[in-house]
Amino acid sequence: MTALLTQLRALLLFYRSVAPFMLGITGLLAGFVLVPLLHDGQASGRLPALALAKLLTGPVVWYLAEQMRPNQYWFFYNLGVSRGRLWAGVAVLDGAIFVGVTVAIQAFFA
Amino acid sequence: MSMRPDSYPDGIQVLEADGIQLAFDGRKILTDVYLRVQTGQIAGLLGRNGSGKSTLLQTIFGARVVPDASVRVNGRRAVPAFQTAGLLNYLPQAQLLPAQLSLRQAARLLRVDLDEATAAFPELRLQLNSRPEELSGGTLRLMQVLLLLHANTVFSLFDEPFTGVMPVHIETLAAGLLRAKQRKGLLITDHRYAEVLPLCDVVYLLHQGRLLKLGADPRAELRDYGYLAT
Repeated sequence: MTALLTQLRALLLFYRSVAPFMLGITGLLAGFVLVPLLHDGQASGRLPALALAKLLTGPVVWYLAEQMRPNQYWFFYNLGVSRGRLWAGVAVLDGAIFVGVTVAIQAFFA
Repeated sequence: MSMRPDSYPDGIQVLEADGIQLAFDGRKILTDVYLRVQTGQIAGLLGRNGSGKSTLLQTIFGARVVPDASVRVNGRRAVPAFQTAGLLNYLPQAQLLPAQLSLRQAARLLRVDLDEATAAFPELRLQLNSRPEELSGGTLRLMQVLLLLHANTVFSLFDEPFTGVMPVHIETLAAGLLRAKQRKGLLITDHRYAEVLPLCDVVYLLHQGRLLKLGADPRAELRDYGYLAT
């Protein structure tokens, strides 16, 4: 149980390090694409494309993080968390935030 | 005093690594490696710059994937080793701690008792709420070594633990390493051979890709292999 908690804390800590990029992209997509579409009543059927755009930015953030901070993993390895697990955690958490923001904005315009 | 992790019984634990072969740009870095460290032992790993010491430690730790590499604990395969709970930790040459964490937060995640870790360095306790960027290079290095040394793992791999650490702290740290080997196995690589050699129960030299286990008079052999001048 303690080990699981430690791993969850590690995932959150790692997400914090990439959050400015991930949340920034979510904010840009929401503010400059989703909100205008909803405002004009043209969002119907375009949400999958929006989700795909968000999905495609993931590898870009991953690549930049690998290039700019190649030593960022050592602490997490020492917590027993692999690089793959860290990024899987980022994908799940960031995906959930993106869906949450999208649903919330849609509800606001409904 | 930290106890042995529950998954590892009391008694001698043996970490072995072999089958590690690695080449960069056609140049063979590691070709013939067999390394053995056991609890109660400090093993020194020496070698010239670029000889592959860090690569070897990272491969044993599991951060670097090398085909056919075999890392075993008590004869049982442990690859990647860092994912085996309580088995080992690794101090890289690069900064270990994330920039946004204070020493105290890092210690909590690593489940290290800071009172115990800093017992021999009371002056460090004033800086436990500092983040890495707020510390001097030597202090940060020392704290990173102490955190991993006092973490509850069976083995610790240290890549240049003495770099940047001032002499008076090196002496105290060396005493701490000797105390820690009562419950751990330590594998250390550092160019400060004068400090490393007296600590070591066994000394390895990485020379032209091969890992050589040195005998009772390692200094003489180190001279013969060109690692020491005199």
